[in-house]
Amino acid sequence: MLGSNRAEKVSAPQMTWSDEELVARSIGGDQESFNQLVLRWERPIYALAYRVIGREEDARDVCQETFLRAFRALNGFRGQAKFSSWLYRIALNLCRDWVRKERRTPVIQAPEELEVLEMAAVREPTPSVEDLVARRELTRVVERAMARLPEEQRTAIILKEYHELTFQEIADLVGCPLSTVKTRLYQGLSVLRRELAKSES
Amino acid sequence: MIETICTYSGRDDLLIAYLYDDIEPGDRAAFSAHLHGCGRCTRELAALRGVRSTLSSWAPPEPARALASQTPPAFEPVIRIEPPAARRTWHDVPGWAQVAAAVLVLGVSAAIANVEVRHDAAGWTLRTGWARTDARSAASPAPATPPTAAPSPAPWKADLAALEQDLRAELRSAPARAVPAASPVSDAELQRRVRAIIEESERRQERELALRVAEVVKDVNAQRQADLVKIDRSLGFIQSSTYGEQMKQRELVNYLLKVSQKQ
Repeated sequence: MLGSNRAEKVSAPQMTWSDEELVARSIGGDQESFNQLVLRWERPIYALAYRVIGREEDARDVCQETFLRAFRALNGFRGQAKFSSWLYRIALNLCRDWVRKERRTPVIQAPEELEVLEMAAVREPTPSVEDLVARRELTRVVERAMARLPEEQRTAIILKEYHELTFQEIADLVGCPLSTVKTRLYQGLSVLRRELAKSES
Repeated sequence: MIETICTYSGRDDLLIAYLYDDIEPGDRAAFSAHLHGCGRCTRELAALRGVRSTLSSWAPPEPARALASQTPPAFEPVIRIEPPAARRTWHDVPGWAQVAAAVLVLGVSAAIANVEVRHDAAGWTLRTGWARTDARSAASPAPATPPTAAPSPAPWKADLAALEQDLRAELRSAPARAVPAASPVSDAELQRRVRAIIEESERRQERELALRVAEVVKDVNAQRQADLVKIDRSLGFIQSSTYGEQMKQRELVNYLLKVSQKQ
């Protein structure tokens, strides 16, 4: 199984069956197994879509469409790749379509106060108001900086940083050489470094 | 500050691989040794680690639909695939069986509607409904048959009545089964849970309020600073333009004085 975001990992429930076993059961007609797969992967897929697109509603739609497409095409899944890789690929293609269709860069959508509080409540029992304000500011800064990156660099950083994929897995997913992935990461991080330094000053 | 140039072969790729610890052991050891003597790479590595640390603070907002069901036991996925079993079995039914079913449904519908098709001298006649039959039977005397046999109910009517009785009995028994399953929690436990929810909600609201107040104060301060700068600039502009106007007036007065003196 590909690594998922640290935050998503915490909330992901422990499952008995592996992805591949659940896929096999789903193909055999066990709908509940597919629901288990959805339960397991909807948060990482939503997080991926949100970070690429930057809009909660659209990220949710992409997430839903990803699973619907996966469900329809499940009989064609032969297990050459991991189920998670397959799912990531569907989601990334949908995100790419969305960005191209909308012909715009990702939208910067600062989360609402309540959502920040909800997130903070999960990780820290008693964060101070100053901490929350600072965190919110930081989130805005990161989103703004990420939105300035070209799509390829942004995708590479998201997959590496938040989903902990290996360079090889990213290369397979986006269909480019391994060295290109590293170059995109280096260039993207360098741009982010400049942008973050600018916003600090 | 002059930045030294690092000529280490494949330096950028290795730096990234080292940063994410996704590197061959040999390359790792070699690059680690290089880092000891290269200030530029060491500084850049530290800076990129700082970027990664900042990036870790970016968490997407919780999807609104899943927030309500975040607790693992009651967790429901945002997307739930409903089993399309009914549709699939329908597609699996052979064509002849579908036609037979359609004919059966049509026949039953016709029977219920009491469709009557007649062809006589006046041509084709299509009649539906029961009122006409009842009216006719009421109008024509039926001395030979007892009143109970007069409407001659169709055999399916008895089945329909039995079915209705069954359904009513089932409906009556349904709530009785549902009630005990719905309240396995004691009142005290329920009160405790509600109180906990209310307390949690109050805490959240307090924090939200505090956050908003802090933000408003921050915004007001920022706006005040911006306004002060703007006022300062405007005053400076007015002052300089007034001074320029004053100078022009003075020059004009001097010129007029000179002219008047000459005359």
